[in-house]
Amino acid sequence: MRNVAGMMAAGLIGVSSLSFVSCGGGGSSASVAPAPAPSNVVSVVVDGGPNNNSVNTVFTTVTVCVPGSTTNCQTIDHVQVDTGSNGLRLLAPVLTLSLPVTMATDGNSLVECTQFVDGYSWGPIALADIQVGEETASSVPIQVIGSSTFAVDPNCSNKGTAEDTVAAFGANGILGIGVFEQDCGPFCAPSTTVDNSANGFYYSCTTASVCVGTTVALNSQVLNPVRLFATDNDGSILDLPGVAAPGTTTLTGSLIFGIDTQSNNSSGSETILGVDLIYGDFTTVFNAQTLSRSFLDSGTNGIFFDDSNLTQCPPPAISTDPSFLGFYCPASAQSLTATLTGTNNTSIPETFTVDNAQTLVTDHPTFSVLPTLAGTWSGAANAATSDTFDWGLPFYYGRRVFTAIENQRTAVGTGPYVAF
Amino acid sequence: MRLGIDFKGGCCVGALLVALVPRLACAALGEPESSISGDVQHLKGSIKSTLRTNYRVHEIQLPSGTVLREFAAAGGNVFAVAWSGPAIPDLRQALGRYFDAYVTSAQAKQGGHRHLRIEQSEFVMQSSGHMRAFSGRAYLPQALPPGTSVDEIR
Repeated sequence: MRNVAGMMAAGLIGVSSLSFVSCGGGGSSASVAPAPAPSNVVSVVVDGGPNNNSVNTVFTTVTVCVPGSTTNCQTIDHVQVDTGSNGLRLLAPVLTLSLPVTMATDGNSLVECTQFVDGYSWGPIALADIQVGEETASSVPIQVIGSSTFAVDPNCSNKGTAEDTVAAFGANGILGIGVFEQDCGPFCAPSTTVDNSANGFYYSCTTASVCVGTTVALNSQVLNPVRLFATDNDGSILDLPGVAAPGTTTLTGSLIFGIDTQSNNSSGSETILGVDLIYGDFTTVFNAQTLSRSFLDSGTNGIFFDDSNLTQCPPPAISTDPSFLGFYCPASAQSLTATLTGTNNTSIPETFTVDNAQTLVTDHPTFSVLPTLAGTWSGAANAATSDTFDWGLPFYYGRRVFTAIENQRTAVGTGPYVAF
Repeated sequence: MRLGIDFKGGCCVGALLVALVPRLACAALGEPESSISGDVQHLKGSIKSTLRTNYRVHEIQLPSGTVLREFAAAGGNVFAVAWSGPAIPDLRQALGRYFDAYVTSAQAKQGGHRHLRIEQSEFVMQSSGHMRAFSGRAYLPQALPPGTSVDEIR
């Protein structure tokens, strides 16, 4: 990696000239009959993950290739499936391929500071051909988290603690398949009216890791790979079987790409909830509170909301014991009801159960699937201070949950929306 | 924008400047409200302040689009910060001497990437959100002005 700038340039040129080859599968394909539609189903699993300590976390397997190559590829398991973010991110310690890093508009390398509430993930944007099941996308901008090529900019490390190892991240990567086409969107893109260069996400870095904030054109940001699939690219369906409380060790289901593109992904019987164009959120009414920043999120490992009537778990008696702080620990399982309302004014009630997080985990140490796991969203004693209800992976159990990408028209509406 | 309340220190003045370095710089948690003047040249954004019963709220619109609110007792220290928006603010700056406590606790996570809760006798922090939508707050429970509810910190 001595000459990153040179590699980048070579890589980009190579990609643009080779992308034809990878699409056609070689030069002698003229007499081949039209290929059948690819299978749009890939298996997913809820298990303990690469660190064997995950709960309510759903994973799949992704293959990435050097752009244009069908042989210089790597298959990576335990990539988290996340409907709450957009774009593919892979952990550098796992990735053995050398992928071409993309350029910022000033010609230096494009690097991103991805933010999570528990820390940040720093790493360059690179191009890869992606295969998930039989679906493929060429020259997709992805993030390589924890690459040692670029030292972390202080403006990023000031967000908190690094999540650049599998141990810290809890997965070998994350497949963001939410409702948006880009990870940051207009906020990080050039604008004629405001300076978006200090967006906090994207940086232009020299080979000496001198970095400055930069805007990035929408199609050069980290992109939702579903949108770039050749077919079945308007959304996805996460299809997980139901689980009886208190749970089970592992769970296998399906991720189906496309909505109304094949016989296995047609819509019609589901309730559609439109989500807003800025956050991807809808409204949940719970305990007479209207929570306008609510969302479905396969990347959240429980149901998170504020309810002052529910007992929160105590701090651990011994500091080295597992902490359940932030989760609920009611004396017995509680059945609760909320109403979800989309931006299209469609509403649907939802009944769910909250059980004691500490007991669930302690009594079932081998369970990776805990459908009654829940916690506080803001931690506030008074739920009136919150505006969010986070419907995490337990919501997905026993359902087909549709995620329609912004601007995409399906048989029943135009994204962004969720449906179930 | 002309506001009815004038407050001492440079936070207000600095906010009206457009500095070249896009970096939040205002009073950190636990620091005096008047300590901010040395940092203001780094600030790039806009600010307004409102007086509440026992404290002032300095609301800073950051370049990232996030709003950061700093809660300062009148003539005293910053006892709370809260944020909401598409990006997490510069927490080293906002949390000041409590940043290390946040980092240490965040490494022992249990709520995944979307939730963080730290509860210590003198420092409480709650942070949550998903890509494009983050919110959180941190406060010093022993420094809250009398009559102030933690639910006002948002």
